[in-house]
Amino acid sequence: MDGVILELQNITYRRDTVTLLDNVSFSLAKGDNVTIFGPEGSGLSSLFDIIIRGDANFEGDVLYNGSSIKSLGYFELMNYKKAVGYIHGDYGLMSNLSVEQNISLPLDYHSSMSASEIKKHVGQIIYDLNLDHCRKLRPFDLTRSEILKAAFGRAIAHDPDLLYIEHAFEDQCFLNIKSLIDVLTERSNRPDKSLVMITYYPQNFIDISDEFIMFFNGRIVFTGKKGDFWTSDNPYLVQYRTNSIEGPMIIL
Amino acid sequence: MIEQIITTTGRKGINIYKGMIDFSDFVKSIFTSFKSLRYLRFRSIYTIIINQTRFTGVDALAIVMIIALLLGGTVIIQALTSLPKFGVEGFLGNILVIIIARELGPLATALIVIARSGSAIATEIAVQKWSREILSMELMGIDTKLYIVFPRIVASILSILGLILIFDIVAFIGGYLISQTVVYIPMDVFGQTLIDSFTFKDIASTFFKSFMFGVTIPLICCYYGLKPNSKFEIPIYVSKAVIRTLFISIIVNIAVSTLFYLV
Repeated sequence: MDGVILELQNITYRRDTVTLLDNVSFSLAKGDNVTIFGPEGSGLSSLFDIIIRGDANFEGDVLYNGSSIKSLGYFELMNYKKAVGYIHGDYGLMSNLSVEQNISLPLDYHSSMSASEIKKHVGQIIYDLNLDHCRKLRPFDLTRSEILKAAFGRAIAHDPDLLYIEHAFEDQCFLNIKSLIDVLTERSNRPDKSLVMITYYPQNFIDISDEFIMFFNGRIVFTGKKGDFWTSDNPYLVQYRTNSIEGPMIIL
Repeated sequence: MIEQIITTTGRKGINIYKGMIDFSDFVKSIFTSFKSLRYLRFRSIYTIIINQTRFTGVDALAIVMIIALLLGGTVIIQALTSLPKFGVEGFLGNILVIIIARELGPLATALIVIARSGSAIATEIAVQKWSREILSMELMGIDTKLYIVFPRIVASILSILGLILIFDIVAFIGGYLISQTVVYIPMDVFGQTLIDSFTFKDIASTFFKSFMFGVTIPLICCYYGLKPNSKFEIPIYVSKAVIRTLFISIIVNIAVSTLFYLV
């Protein structure tokens, strides 16, 4: 399908006897941004297994730019992972590398840019994310917001078309990451860049999301546009939005 | 009682077999990764090789030299005082080459490297895995076998070769100087005896042992470093890494010596 960067087709994903994702389908157009949310255990982390990690033990198919990633070989899977930017909640910055080295790592490894070009490109990212004061520091010396910014810088260093952010903004002060949000907002407005935001706090991403998808028990229970998030009377969404234990979701 | 012994032995045997299969899968995966070596940009692992060589080789110099001096002195004193009793003092050079250059140098160096760098490699990788740094690398499309294991193997081969050569030189020269406090033997005689005793085989076996230790030590330590799935498993696997690398290194040493001098 033209114009679609990511498509999940009837995904059913089981581990042992437990069904983690049950007939899940959605697609993401190029330039669109989707926020996926739901309570714990609703299948959000299983999406990571099949979209990002490359686990092929599922029914259905995942298409990236129209090509299935299910049957990718070792090297093709490496290239696919290289093409997608990813940040997780633990950030995973290399503890023995400085902020600057962490951001330039994917470029040093993959890119055909010269060392001076990489330095200049990374310098611009560091400037945009307001990390100049800590470019030589290692993760151990950074605050949580600086770690997130460095991880974000690393994820966008090679300018991926798809950025997948998983619970990375949880436990962050949004005032401290304003420069990051500005860069993310600017990126989300570009017609060639797409974003998948996995979060427990979808209301924080109203401004940058085009679409919202809610999961519960491995199934999609709500899909809607930006405006629908506040106005829809979907009982699952209402229960989630109002943070109530009363509703169709039984929360233990 | 007998049934219990058989069951326990059988279970251990199966575990060892499973472990060997798992390790061989790990080695196979490294060979698979080597196929993507042509895509690897050397600049990304250059710093790791330099840092690892500095830690394994340069930083270990002092302790290697001290141990070489002490062991060299002990062997030379024993040789100089005991050989004349059996009337074979003419074989002094041969005995020293056999004990120090062929066996003690490579093995003692390997043991020092295992204790210092092997444990450090296993711990570093285990902590990187626990803090999801390795996952991050994989998700950036970085082949962790190439990025983590390969530079450490290169650095270990270089470091161990350098350390063995330095160990042998210090053990001979330092040991000679220490032995002068106990017995007198002219420097030129001592030197000539050593030079006459060295053969091409000795040099080749030193290089081959350096290579084998340089491959096996980081390989086994990386394997165990990548094993822990939780924080509490880290010390368990680091301990396993050190003990098993130690055991394998002694076997490698015997195997290489047999290959060069017995076959």
